[in-house]
Amino acid sequence: MISVMTKDAVQGAAEEADQAQSKKGLKKQQKEAEKAAKKAEKQAKLAADSQSTDEDDFAKDRYGVPPMVQSQQKLDRVLVRVQELTPEKADQLIWVRARIHTSRAKGKQCFLVLRQQQFNVQALVAVGERASKQMVKFAANINKESIVDVEAMVRKVEQKIESCSQQDVELHIEKIFVISQAEPRLPLQLEDCVRPEGEGDEDGRATVNQDTRLDNRVIDLRTTTSQAIFRLQSGVCQLFRDTLTNKGFVEIQTPKIISAASEGGANVFTVSYFKTSAYLAQSPQLYKQIAEDSNTHRHLTEFVGLDIELAFNYHYHEVIESITDTMVQIFKGLRDKFQTEIQTVGKQYPSEPFKFLEPTLRLEYREGVAMLREAGVEMGDEEDLSTPNEKLLGRLVKEKYDTDFYVLDKYPLAVRPFYTMPDPNDKKYSNSYDMFMRGEEILSGAQRIHDAQLLTERAMHHNIDLEKIKSYIDSFRYGAPPHGGGGIGLERVCMLYLGLHNVRQVSMFPRDPKRLTP
Amino acid sequence: MSLKELSSLEKALGLKKPNKYSTQGDKKVPVLQSVNGPALVGLVTIATHLVQEAKRPELLGGSAEHKAVVQQWLEYRVTKVDGCHNEDIKTILKDLNSYLEDKVYLAGNQFTLADTLMYYGIHHVIVDLAVQEKEKYMNMTRWFNHVQHYPGIRHHLPPVVVLRNRVYTSGHH
Repeated sequence: MISVMTKDAVQGAAEEADQAQSKKGLKKQQKEAEKAAKKAEKQAKLAADSQSTDEDDFAKDRYGVPPMVQSQQKLDRVLVRVQELTPEKADQLIWVRARIHTSRAKGKQCFLVLRQQQFNVQALVAVGERASKQMVKFAANINKESIVDVEAMVRKVEQKIESCSQQDVELHIEKIFVISQAEPRLPLQLEDCVRPEGEGDEDGRATVNQDTRLDNRVIDLRTTTSQAIFRLQSGVCQLFRDTLTNKGFVEIQTPKIISAASEGGANVFTVSYFKTSAYLAQSPQLYKQIAEDSNTHRHLTEFVGLDIELAFNYHYHEVIESITDTMVQIFKGLRDKFQTEIQTVGKQYPSEPFKFLEPTLRLEYREGVAMLREAGVEMGDEEDLSTPNEKLLGRLVKEKYDTDFYVLDKYPLAVRPFYTMPDPNDKKYSNSYDMFMRGEEILSGAQRIHDAQLLTERAMHHNIDLEKIKSYIDSFRYGAPPHGGGGIGLERVCMLYLGLHNVRQVSMFPRDPKRLTP
Repeated sequence: MSLKELSSLEKALGLKKPNKYSTQGDKKVPVLQSVNGPALVGLVTIATHLVQEAKRPELLGGSAEHKAVVQQWLEYRVTKVDGCHNEDIKTILKDLNSYLEDKVYLAGNQFTLADTLMYYGIHHVIVDLAVQEKEKYMNMTRWFNHVQHYPGIRHHLPPVVVLRNRVYTSGHH
């Protein structure tokens, strides 16, 4: 209306247009008035309704919002897990605590999908002798993602409920209480987060991009896909630990705040430490360059490292065998115990099952270079593998040997850190190796130099200030056994095992040069 | 570039005496000053002339229909492929790839001048393709590999490696 009045003040040629405008404005005004009247009417009706609710609702003790749980009482109530709602529980009256995943009211009944972690079950409130009209209405109006306590009868269903994990039963709700109310508007919808890539575009439905999901990570972590990813990740840690414990390894904790940046101060995080400064350790091993400013699909600035270091008897291949066996145990454990999780993730991000050989395939660097050259790649003998070439080699290896996991051994000495043991047969090469999953590096390792003299020589060859690594070199002066090891990135292992594209999907709260929250 | 191409074509056609070419204009359009007549201008015109001189008319197509197809691809070569930008080349590769799905040569089952000139014209693109892209445009790559091994065609151009096996089967990663 205001716009019409100001326009009236304008004269001349614009007048005609203004009249049209004011006509439009009038119509608009009229419509709005109608709308407001309708709204008022509705509200009055609602108020009347709720009044009548209070008056003659026989079920008013069976629903509502109880006082906040402040540990006032210790109920004997047993809350059954959604996962356990199977036909064996049929015709039992049980309590469940779950989230409202979706709700759909239809006349005298309201269907809810109750979710608990990656499991969900259909529930139903219907007007009858247990539930009143008002109760059904209350149930239908509970905001999505609110947490509710529900008392319900488990009933078998004739037709499988395809949309739920518990397909053979549904819950007939007798009581429903809101334990924690969610806000009515969610920053993103869970269904949009789990929609397979590309599927949303076809039928015009929304998909949520990675950044928005990470901004609202608490909600994104509730999706079935995220739930499955982090269960599997926990499985990787568990399997890693169990396998190594069985092999007689000892778990150690190392300081993460160190006095000197191993890389001479470049590209590390500095922290102020009382009156001086300290650095964040990049790895329990020296020289891991993770504080680099890389924004890629596979780099984070903070990651979980699984490191192994072991003494061997005569040949560093003992170390390789020990590590590859550990990896194979992890792959087998995941395959055998986490099939549900793997399939859940596969629904959103389809990929081929992870393949590996036993014993693990070990190729030498020069064989790898030969395979690449045969595929038309031009590279020098002692040149490091570029990322595209790494991936291509992974493809060639998969085609030839049908494995997604292999070891590339005997890297050129020039591309490895100073503490890498040179190859006794060829000075150009070294006793070092990388391990690859689906063509991407997950582990870098080597036989380390355990001789202080040789270590000093190699450090000088690399122009490293001996003063800065004095304590490291000195530690080898009092007898050190030959040893080797390697560090694995937990997130990368999960990402590549599942065939995902971005390491942020497997990091619960990812940190990269552009992201410090949440 | 087209000058080198024309001398390679001369050799491929078995012409003993190399001609001398000049260029005209910014786009360096090749010009052939013939002994008995006016100058010939343009890649396709000169190439057609060379084919006739070598008495290999079958390279221009047998039937009337074939002749038309050959002309069409020769025109495609100079209008679409030459001087095309980076983004457009993907469209060309896609086009060629789907066209060649059920053909050995550009004009069906018969090797023609169109194959030779298309091969020369597209070589600088194919030589830079990654293994994955070569596999993506599989039919085009098969045709390209066939032509580069066709007797006497390759000459001044380096061979391009083409894998016999598919390595990107899942179309993912």
